[in-house]
Amino acid sequence: MDKMIRKAGVFEIFNHWVLAISCFILALTGYAFLFHLEQMTGIFGSFAQMKVIHNYAGIVFTGSLVISIFFYLPESLHMTGDDLKWLSMLGGYLSKHPHVPPMGKLNTGQKLAYLGLVVSGIAIAVSGFVIWLMPGVKKYILLSHLAHNIAFDYIVFAVAAHIYLATLANPGTLRIMLSGTVPLEWARKKSPKWVKEMGY
Amino acid sequence: MARKALLISPELCIGCRGCQTACKGWNQLPAEKTKNTGSFENPADLTPIVFNKIRYVEVPSEKDPVRWLFVSQRCMHCDDAGCMKICPAPGALYKTKEGAVAFNKEKCIGCKLCVAGCPFNVPRYDAKDKISKCNLCEDRIAAGLEPACSKTCPTGAIKYGERDSLIGGSKKAGFAKVYGDTDLGGLGSIYAFKDSPKLYGMEENPQIPESIVFWHKVLKPLAYWGVGGAVAASLLHYVVIGPHKDDEEVKKDG
Repeated sequence: MDKMIRKAGVFEIFNHWVLAISCFILALTGYAFLFHLEQMTGIFGSFAQMKVIHNYAGIVFTGSLVISIFFYLPESLHMTGDDLKWLSMLGGYLSKHPHVPPMGKLNTGQKLAYLGLVVSGIAIAVSGFVIWLMPGVKKYILLSHLAHNIAFDYIVFAVAAHIYLATLANPGTLRIMLSGTVPLEWARKKSPKWVKEMGY
Repeated sequence: MARKALLISPELCIGCRGCQTACKGWNQLPAEKTKNTGSFENPADLTPIVFNKIRYVEVPSEKDPVRWLFVSQRCMHCDDAGCMKICPAPGALYKTKEGAVAFNKEKCIGCKLCVAGCPFNVPRYDAKDKISKCNLCEDRIAAGLEPACSKTCPTGAIKYGERDSLIGGSKKAGFAKVYGDTDLGGLGSIYAFKDSPKLYGMEENPQIPESIVFWHKVLKPLAYWGVGGAVAASLLHYVVIGPHKDDEEVKKDG
């Protein structure tokens, strides 16, 4: 059997799924609010109930997002010349036989997507709390409503792309968020710089 | 059914506030405790238990030292209503067949977004955090009656009727413009002003906040076209290019 190498810890994996599930609940109820999806009451009860669920799932999402910062932000901010090269060829995703530069623990696309998530996540969380806790202050509500919806559009788009890239587009990636371990050889292909850093 | 409206003529109003008490009587609203602010205007603003009120505007001038304008205020019953646009709870706000913006407290989720969506600062919230405002006496109209305020008005300063004929009538009476004729798709509370709307305490060109229009026209469609696009692009990518091959990466690094 292949030698396995640990890429994600148990708490990191747990936090990922807390973030994912809260995000999913928030998005579902969010879509219900946006498009008046009465069918959603079948899952969540009434719209009043949905508002409560949306608000409290927001607290979980915010907490989980803050925790995720410790796992991914330093690495995401660490950009090198290889990242520029990676970006200039769009990570090789438009080619059948890509020559992508060697990547570290996260590739450039993952770094950028995460930075986008942090920015939009903070925006959607702060604006959400303003709408929840400062109702009636028209100036703040209008600004928050706008920010909340721009961030929402980014997040639902990014999550759709994230799910594809982490499953079908890159077979073998999902297990990082399940068992946390990957075969050493696989990691060498995907994250050669990181594997070296780990001393293999 | 033809759209109904209230035509308000401040110059006919004598400031008796019969409309305020009639509204309270019909809608069973208790009195609002207020303070004397040195004006006859009372209460000072709409509240969860004040659906309509008369604004007292004093416009003294050399020629006319005691010019007093009495402007009856309530929900404007916009055709294109900002409150309804932004409301996330289906059925909480709805249009009656006469074109009034009515509400269902049981469907209201208390988010107060309608407050931000309203160009006229009308929606208020009761102690249970439910919307509370004029509904053009929806229940009276359903019973073949007219709204309490217009019914009780002794001078014809508040007239209820078919919107088109009210507008036609006031144009015939010499009003070049009726306030609310075309604003926000046409208001359900329209005004025959003899002077500029500003003087009566009304905004010249009331509009739904731009950010809400942008949200409605761009951000909302993006919420499904964006995700749909991402899913479609993913499928297309999978079929045309396929999963990422990274054999080359190994060679390069090795």
